[in-house]
Amino acid sequence: MHTSSKLTKEFTKKWLKGLQICCSSKKDMDVLERKKKIKLCADIALASAKNATTSWSIALISEAKKNDENEILVDNLLGPESRFKQQNIIRQMNSCHKRVRSKKILKKSCSISQRMKKMGPPKSNLAAYIAKRLVKKRTQVLQRLVPGGESMDEFSLIKEALDYILSLRVQVDVMRNLANATEVLNQSNSSNVFD
Amino acid sequence: MSSRRSRQSSSGARISDDQIIQLISKLQQLLPGTRIQRSNKASASKVLQETCTYVRSLHREVDDLSDRLSQLLSTIDADSPEASIIRSLIM
Repeated sequence: MHTSSKLTKEFTKKWLKGLQICCSSKKDMDVLERKKKIKLCADIALASAKNATTSWSIALISEAKKNDENEILVDNLLGPESRFKQQNIIRQMNSCHKRVRSKKILKKSCSISQRMKKMGPPKSNLAAYIAKRLVKKRTQVLQRLVPGGESMDEFSLIKEALDYILSLRVQVDVMRNLANATEVLNQSNSSNVFD
Repeated sequence: MSSRRSRQSSSGARISDDQIIQLISKLQQLLPGTRIQRSNKASASKVLQETCTYVRSLHREVDDLSDRLSQLLSTIDADSPEASIIRSLIM
């Protein structure tokens, strides 16, 4: 899949750039702080490698921008030609919220009238009723896991989840490769010392 | 009643059930596990549940790898030849 190798390259470049920005500034960081920075760089690099083509990446970047400490990092990683412009992000989030709110109002009015007609779930539809409730519950959980999921309808949520999973896999692969390479180099270095 | 129903479906995009089923089967193909068994017995709620579990496990892996990298990098001096080797290898 050539799209995932392109994403791999983009993510790797941006992540390493971000690591150089954060980890080289203070050399005496404790392990926990460095870990948070590594993870933050990885998330921002992953989202910016998408270049505003998906909702979850836009939501991730706007979430990161809320913290002022991250501003330098985000601006550096996004670059001057990125499509994550402030106006687009705000406009898209607002339109999503409005769409969801109007849908909710419509659904409420429809369900109230339906409830008044049916006195209880008919036995023939009980299985379907339970299945629907389950799907709704699980969808809500997924909404919390995918960044920006709360303002998505079911269809886009599944589409975004597909893309998010593929991107997360790329992230895990690159990070694992770097960790393994670092470990190998560490071991070889320490073995050289004892020769 | 039919007018209300048509109003409800036209407020968003017209999404057919088939499209949703297709998406869910695509999602199912991404999930780890025996692919042959899963192809027939796909229920939306099961696929969603396993998707959530998978996303959570991917998040956890990223977290563990960040931990591991942080510990490894703390033992490497930033100006040492190893750090520059890593950078040149990957870039």
